[in-house]
Amino acid sequence: MLKLSNVTKRFGSLVAVNDLSLEVEKGQIYGIAGPNGAGKSTIYNLITGFYSYEGKIEFEGKPINGLRPYQIVKRGISRTFQIPQTFPSLSVEDSIDIGNRFGNTAAYSRKRVDEVIDFVNLNRERKHKTGTLDLLGKKKLMIGAALATRPKMLMLDEPMAGSNAHEIKALMELIRRINQELGITIIIIEHFMKVLTELTETLLIIETGTEICCGHPAEVTNDPAVIECYLGREDDQG
Amino acid sequence: MFSEDTVLLLYEMSDVLIAGLSNGSVYALMALGMTLVYGVTKAFNFAYGDFFNMGGYFAWMLIIGLGLQFGGYVTIFIVVLPMLFGVGYAMEKFLISPLRKRADWENRIMMLTLGLALFLTNLYMVVFGVKLKSLPAILDGILEVGEFVFSYQDIMIFCLSLGGILLFGWTLNNTRTGMAVRAVAQNPAGAKIVGINIGRIFAATFAISTVMVGFGGILLSQKLFINPSSGGAIMVKAWVVTAFGGMGSIRGGLVAAFIIGIMEAFVGWIFGMSYGIIALFILLLGTLIIRPQGLMGKGE
Ligand SMILES: Nc1ncnc2c1ncn2[C@@H]1O[C@H](COP(=O)(O)OP(=O)(O)OP(=O)(O)O)[C@@H](O)[C@H]1O
Ligand SMILES: [Mg+2]
Repeated sequence: MLKLSNVTKRFGSLVAVNDLSLEVEKGQIYGIAGPNGAGKSTIYNLITGFYSYEGKIEFEGKPINGLRPYQIVKRGISRTFQIPQTFPSLSVEDSIDIGNRFGNTAAYSRKRVDEVIDFVNLNRERKHKTGTLDLLGKKKLMIGAALATRPKMLMLDEPMAGSNAHEIKALMELIRRINQELGITIIIIEHFMKVLTELTETLLIIETGTEICCGHPAEVTNDPAVIECYLGREDDQG
Repeated sequence: MFSEDTVLLLYEMSDVLIAGLSNGSVYALMALGMTLVYGVTKAFNFAYGDFFNMGGYFAWMLIIGLGLQFGGYVTIFIVVLPMLFGVGYAMEKFLISPLRKRADWENRIMMLTLGLALFLTNLYMVVFGVKLKSLPAILDGILEVGEFVFSYQDIMIFCLSLGGILLFGWTLNNTRTGMAVRAVAQNPAGAKIVGINIGRIFAATFAISTVMVGFGGILLSQKLFINPSSGGAIMVKAWVVTAFGGMGSIRGGLVAAFIIGIMEAFVGWIFGMSYGIIALFILLLGTLIIRPQGLMGKGE
């Protein structure tokens, strides 16, 4: 469904993504992990059209190189940011309605907003200003706004960051439902290994923009190169 | 009931008051347009005042060419406002937006709009000459209410700019484009990933602000002259209104605009027109010293 071929991104002399290739299949949950500064978020920024790059990215068999972020959304790729990006003085339902209005080419339907609000369970807060939500609320809202664009693929950037065990459980449940009930392909960047091994079917480990290992999470987590790369990081693996 | 002197005074005062209100309403319109562009694109438009004159000159050309017999100002608005929108849209899309991709885009846009201000001033001088132009009153005559007297021109200016302000507020809160404008102002990255074409919103915002200030130009040029080199002073005035009201506060800007309009009119009436500017400057200094966040600004 999504295919990166020999993608490289330089920021001046820094090579943030280095000749990376990967392929995500339709319907799967694909995980990406790696140390801080490994280039994970940069990969998202390339796919979603925030930066230019060398190499080729295809979605559903068509190249998406050079498309602007709003065009990529309309192709069916939506994403969240590591830090929730909200519109503080807009209400929850208006924020979701923006994704619904602008993020796709389907005819406008107000019903879509209600469906999404139900799905992410924000009914009680639907009239609240986005700025007043707690972190979990903001995360659910961002996922809701992304879903309102009717994506075929959803890319989540560290959705668990800053959450407690209870919230992690709720978010994992939500991600699973998005994948299974809505049939949306998911890519997830995460530091919590446990989340990745439980959720994903394929796991990619990168360091300094280069692939270390890619495969089934059970194999990947036993790979000596990965263990070395993650040595001393046991403490924050949840 | 009143002595003759008192009646005369009331006559004059009501005239000054409505003049202040009508000026204030135009200032409010201009300040809103300025806040809009800054709030959404984070770039300051130094040529803002020259678009005020552009509105005036476009209207003047139409009146010279057509006279007022074809629908009068209605025709002028129907023709000139879309023209202003087009100029503003093209300006943003072809001149300003290419600069936004550069690293120090804020400075580059500042230089560009400063250059544009200079260019427009000189263009006006070449095309229209340095002699000041004026527009005919939109409506002649006076309205007498008891002891008070109001000119229809002032009433019309007041109503039209208030109408413009209300339409702007309604658009911002109730239309698809207005929703996108608010989203981009609050979080550009967040707006991009829900499918908003922010380049288009920047251009639309710039175009709308050009219409707002140009509309103000058409209205106020009936009372003042169109002066090719007055753009800078007009921009400063819009800026003082914005700073006094509180940067980014729409309500503050509205209140400030009316206070300044009325203050200017009364100072002008009592001390003479040129003192208006001095009063404005004192007000700006006072604001910066006593209440730098402005009347209704959020503060630090
Ligand atoms: N816009 C940019 N300009 C310059 N350098 C950048 C830019 N964006 C990212 N980088 C650099 O690229 C490298 C990869 O950053 P990236 O944000 O992709 O890492 P990450 O894997 O997401 O890390 P984290 O786990 O901390 O989120 C880092 O060294 C970062 O400093
Ligand atoms: Mg990151």
